[in-house]
Amino acid sequence: MPQLNNETKHLEAIVKSAPLEEIPTNVLVVGVGGQGVIMISKVLAALCQEQGFDVKQSEVHGMAKRGGSVFSHVRFGRQVFSPTIPKGDADILVALEWAEGLRWLPYLKPEKGIFIGDTQRIVPPFACRDRRRFAASGYVQESVDQVIRLVPNSSAMDAVAMARELGVPKAANTILLGALSTTLNFEEAAWKSVIARFVPPKTVDANLQAFDSGRAWIRNFDRQADSAMEAGTALDSGAWPMEQDQTWVEINTAWCKSCDICVKLCPERCLALDDQQLVQLIKPEACTGCRVCERLCPDFAINIHTPAFPELRP
Amino acid sequence: MIEESRQKFDIRNNLRTELFPHFMCPGCGHGIALRALLWAVHELEISKDQLAIVSGIGCSGRTGAYIDATTIHTTHGRPLAYATGLKLARPDLEVIVITGDGDCLAIGGNHLIHACRRNLNLTCLMLNNETYGMTGGQVSPTTRNERFTTTTPLGNYEPVFDACALASGAGASMVGREITMHVTALKDLIKEGISHQGFTFLEILSDCTEIYGRKNELGESAEMVLSQKAEYRSDSYGNQVEEPFQPRNIGTGVLTKNDRTEYMEACRLHNQSKQSGTANS
Repeated sequence: MPQLNNETKHLEAIVKSAPLEEIPTNVLVVGVGGQGVIMISKVLAALCQEQGFDVKQSEVHGMAKRGGSVFSHVRFGRQVFSPTIPKGDADILVALEWAEGLRWLPYLKPEKGIFIGDTQRIVPPFACRDRRRFAASGYVQESVDQVIRLVPNSSAMDAVAMARELGVPKAANTILLGALSTTLNFEEAAWKSVIARFVPPKTVDANLQAFDSGRAWIRNFDRQADSAMEAGTALDSGAWPMEQDQTWVEINTAWCKSCDICVKLCPERCLALDDQQLVQLIKPEACTGCRVCERLCPDFAINIHTPAFPELRP
Repeated sequence: MIEESRQKFDIRNNLRTELFPHFMCPGCGHGIALRALLWAVHELEISKDQLAIVSGIGCSGRTGAYIDATTIHTTHGRPLAYATGLKLARPDLEVIVITGDGDCLAIGGNHLIHACRRNLNLTCLMLNNETYGMTGGQVSPTTRNERFTTTTPLGNYEPVFDACALASGAGASMVGREITMHVTALKDLIKEGISHQGFTFLEILSDCTEIYGRKNELGESAEMVLSQKAEYRSDSYGNQVEEPFQPRNIGTGVLTKNDRTEYMEACRLHNQSKQSGTANS
């Protein structure tokens, strides 16, 4: 969107102009277990409380230890009645994981809401249910670039890489906190004092450094040419060509004795006995080439052929 | 060279395909055991000229005939005796014995314990299907209690032979056990057995679906193959029944392995000492 070209400061402008005291400000923090979603929201809630606001924070972290989805609603204003943010009413969405961020985008205020996303991708096991070799995962296929262009007031950073450069990979959430701090009307010193209270004593300096780098990054953020965005797009290319990897099941029906072992033990259920009680492949597209049928066939009637990928051959 | 060894394993290259389909009943576990053996041979890169298969009588004995290598089909219970002679005459050959539970433990029991005692560098695969399948399903030394066979119509009451304990007690320097369900593990076990210097006794738990399984209502082929794991835990562990979830190496895998002197080596050392003794005197 060309009209957003010189909007380096657009993130700050929006919230600062909003009447904080009248309508509650809604901040939604999302991610997966272990990333520090709760830490960000607690720092924010404590800070708002110190500044004299009424704060309500509610979170869901049930599956956190299994890498599951974690989100936290923070609402603050003169008076807050409900702890949860209605859909389409979040002023700021902070996403520590890319797909989680996209999942919660409908909660963002249309056109006005601010989206701060980490491009880190944590692919859940359920996105990998297609067991064929080199199958594409069910993870979001949209590139970072595409999303940034679609969502106004959005920014995407590779906070994990930045934190690693600082030598503290776990401080990625503090970097995002730094980015978040530029959108809210609080003093930098107030932020820092609250962070210092919430992080482990040994890591205070590292976290404050991460906070500064997050602030600096968001101020210099350029929507058009950003290295994090380029890195994000690079992740999307290079998928394996599935059509070159079709396994071929060779069935020698002259040797088949209809013992049914292959039919019953195939994990994908892609074999069946035909009307002559001989084995046949009924779902060739479902075959993953796992070789269970080949190895358990007592009559050597099945041979699995997989195309050679020399560098990946066992 | 590495590329050659990584060549895809196609079992048909190692079979006498003109004899196929083979004589075994549908769902017989012996076919899976045969695949595991040929796969192990393929991975060890043993040429057909260097491989000698000696088999006895019975369903297990017939499996040897389908291997495209030097094969000897011998008398009932005596494959180990033939193999001992073959190995002594041609130590360069890789001699593998395929025998069954009745063949090895009942009729050839004496040959087994003496082969174990001598510790000659042989590999003995005992395909245990718990019955004499070829002769019509009679009771064998490994038939479990309360199982029906043609000679035990009211259920088997004889104690069951633990073949691995027997071989281990008789002095085999490597003893292992595996089920046909675990084809890859079975292949690895056979590879280890062939590479081992000394007598290797491997018990392969196979299925007889048509004769034994049908009589005992053990389900169809697939059910029998699948139930191997569960059944095997509760019954074949003997005194481990109280604790069915013991580590796997107690029941399957390598059970005994030591470096007791191999027979030919012992013979050479003995002759050396005698010759030096005569030279000194």
